[in-house]
Amino acid sequence: MRKQECVAMLLAGGQGSRLGGLTRKRAKPAVSFCGKYRIIDFTLSNCTNSNINTVGVLIQYKPLQLNSYIGLGSAWDLDNPYGGVHILPPFLGEKEGSWYNGTANAVYQNYEFIDFHDPEYVLILSGDHVYRMDYARMLNFHKEKNSEITIAAIQVPREEASRFGILTVDGDARITTFSEKPAQPDSDLASMGVYIFNWSTLKQALIEDAKDLGSQNDFGENIIPHQLKQAKRVYAYEFHGYWRDVGTIESYYHANMESLREGHFLNIFDPQFRIFSNEDILPPHFVGSTAKIENSLVCNGCIVHGDVRNSIIAPGVYVGKGVKIRDSILLPYVKVHTGSRIRKTIVGENAEIMRHCIVGAEEQVIPDQEGITVIEDNHNISEGSVIEAGKNVYRPQII
Amino acid sequence: MSNAIGIIYANSATDNLQGLALKRPIAAVPFGGRYRILDFALSSMVNSGIRTIGLVTPHHYRPLLDHLGAGKAWFLDRKDGGLFILPEAIHGFSENNHTFCVTDLYNNIEFLQKDFAENVIISSGDQIYNMNFKNALEFHNDKHADITLIYSETANSDKQTDGVFLEMGEGRRVTNILDKKSRERGLFLQSHFVNMLIIRRELLLNIVEKYSGIGCIDIIDIFNSNLQIFKIYGSLTCSSIGTIHTLKDYFDRSMELLDLEVRGRLWLGGDRIHTKFKDYPPTQYTSQAKVSNSLIASGCSIAGEVVNSIIFRGVILEQGCKIKNSIILPKCHIEENAQTDYAILDKSVKVNRENIFKGSSHNPLVVFKRTMV
Repeated sequence: MRKQECVAMLLAGGQGSRLGGLTRKRAKPAVSFCGKYRIIDFTLSNCTNSNINTVGVLIQYKPLQLNSYIGLGSAWDLDNPYGGVHILPPFLGEKEGSWYNGTANAVYQNYEFIDFHDPEYVLILSGDHVYRMDYARMLNFHKEKNSEITIAAIQVPREEASRFGILTVDGDARITTFSEKPAQPDSDLASMGVYIFNWSTLKQALIEDAKDLGSQNDFGENIIPHQLKQAKRVYAYEFHGYWRDVGTIESYYHANMESLREGHFLNIFDPQFRIFSNEDILPPHFVGSTAKIENSLVCNGCIVHGDVRNSIIAPGVYVGKGVKIRDSILLPYVKVHTGSRIRKTIVGENAEIMRHCIVGAEEQVIPDQEGITVIEDNHNISEGSVIEAGKNVYRPQII
Repeated sequence: MSNAIGIIYANSATDNLQGLALKRPIAAVPFGGRYRILDFALSSMVNSGIRTIGLVTPHHYRPLLDHLGAGKAWFLDRKDGGLFILPEAIHGFSENNHTFCVTDLYNNIEFLQKDFAENVIISSGDQIYNMNFKNALEFHNDKHADITLIYSETANSDKQTDGVFLEMGEGRRVTNILDKKSRERGLFLQSHFVNMLIIRRELLLNIVEKYSGIGCIDIIDIFNSNLQIFKIYGSLTCSSIGTIHTLKDYFDRSMELLDLEVRGRLWLGGDRIHTKFKDYPPTQYTSQAKVSNSLIASGCSIAGEVVNSIIFRGVILEQGCKIKNSIILPKCHIEENAQTDYAILDKSVKVNRENIFKGSSHNPLVVFKRTMV
């Protein structure tokens, strides 16, 4: 095993319950995004583009799709003889063993994995953000500042600042205070949940945290404030670019829809910094003679006969004749049959909407208005159904 | 199914593709929105469980190897088996009538010697099909055949003037192999040999060694003169879409893809056609886009009008342009208000604004690679 300078630990175990029906069957990082991608593609592609070859993916909740999607990591060129992608589920030891109990606890339980690679630095990532970032630059910053902990930070609008972990920095970008979701934020610099630690610092911090029985074992809640109290050298690396947390139905919907706007920040067309994905092998999409597609994204393997506007159509979707799709996101392999109308709806993977259904808000609504309808994966909406706007439609559970 | 290895003759070249095959073999000509012609033969073999495939490469092999790499997209980067490059014997002959030249195999005879497989499946690399060889191989084994020639039924025997036809007796034993000339004498047969065959590996080795001194001789001619000695059978397939030898073949076969029935046979079934990964983003339609009856690959940006056309990966169509009955190869850029009708634009062609390209259905216009007009 060759010594690695930096090892990435990707936290992908969260349930993502705020994504409702979309995460009923799969972990949040495995949820489809922007047509052909899955949320984890962005973080894994960032690693590849930043020359970070060793990635531990910490999984826990419904890992089937995520595991099979990541595989050996070859889709992101991470199948590397030195390093590679390692799926790290919770495991049993001789006497101990438990589920991952918080983000810091998940990393703590895998300290042997990090020790095995013996890195200088550990990059802590989260699998539920959509962004494009060169971690190598952040690492350079970390080294330049002779920092022990570096937190990636992004400017957010003041009024939204109380949703994030907020950092206050001095003139040298050194962090003076850190407060998780403060009611009265005194800065507009938010933590992106991306950290670089010196491995020695992290190891010490994790051991201390594990001993503290009152701790929630969370990076943002416990580790960072605790390290600041100990007057460790903690710096903020300010990131300028596109970054979205897609943790809720609304933020997921808007982040998707943003990609339709011209001059979109997350430029997925940039050949210099490509976003890779493990896509299914599908033929080009076919646009029938009755079809109309405007201001939309359409992926491979689709067959479109209907009228699609302001929407994102993922791979393998079928849109029948006379179908109207507006302001909606159709996830992979959705089928929409003749005459159905869908507006402002997220239709889950493999869901099938039979003929002449009406789903979502009917009348013209401003796309920014809330009231997003969600249809769960694999759900079958029977012919002629009417589903009101803003409803979450779950599949009946068969036990 | 693992008791067979594959050989694909990817070295057929032609002058009849008007520049599309100028610097690439036919096998490397882009086809169907995101594929190259070779992908069809290669994927068919891979989907049939064959994991050792030899590729007879042509003189201009760069585009072919660029596409194939280590064969990862076809699951051929393996320890056991994999993709083998078999350089062709005679470089530089762009037009020869031999499909399966024995000398090409003789030069690479080790590929055949070192394997243990019972049978060899040989296919040309210039045709469009999606076929699982499982049935043909079962037939081959059931008949204890030396050679099985795969054929398709041509409904209209006048349509196919080229190629080789089979005359079969009882139990589909091949009694005669007829070429174009005998057809001109008025012998019409419907069993059209589709340049795919199964042969016992030991027999193939014997043939190659015995006939290697003669120069470039087609293996089919050898079969023809040994009809009594070899047990040759015919096996029917209906999965062949056609061979690409002329520009008209290319244009017509491409346009047939707009027909659901053809696409159903070719790529909507369970066996997928594999091709090099490009990881292009989804195709973007602007609010000015108008597309009908067309195949569109990924990574395109469409602001113009597209009718009855095939658009490959990474094409940019600006506002007001009109693409009709055309085939636009990867990374072309068509500026505002430019028009094409019955045109084939090779890779990376840039059409400046207001330009108009017009061909006809019998004679589509071809624009060379990297041209700026």
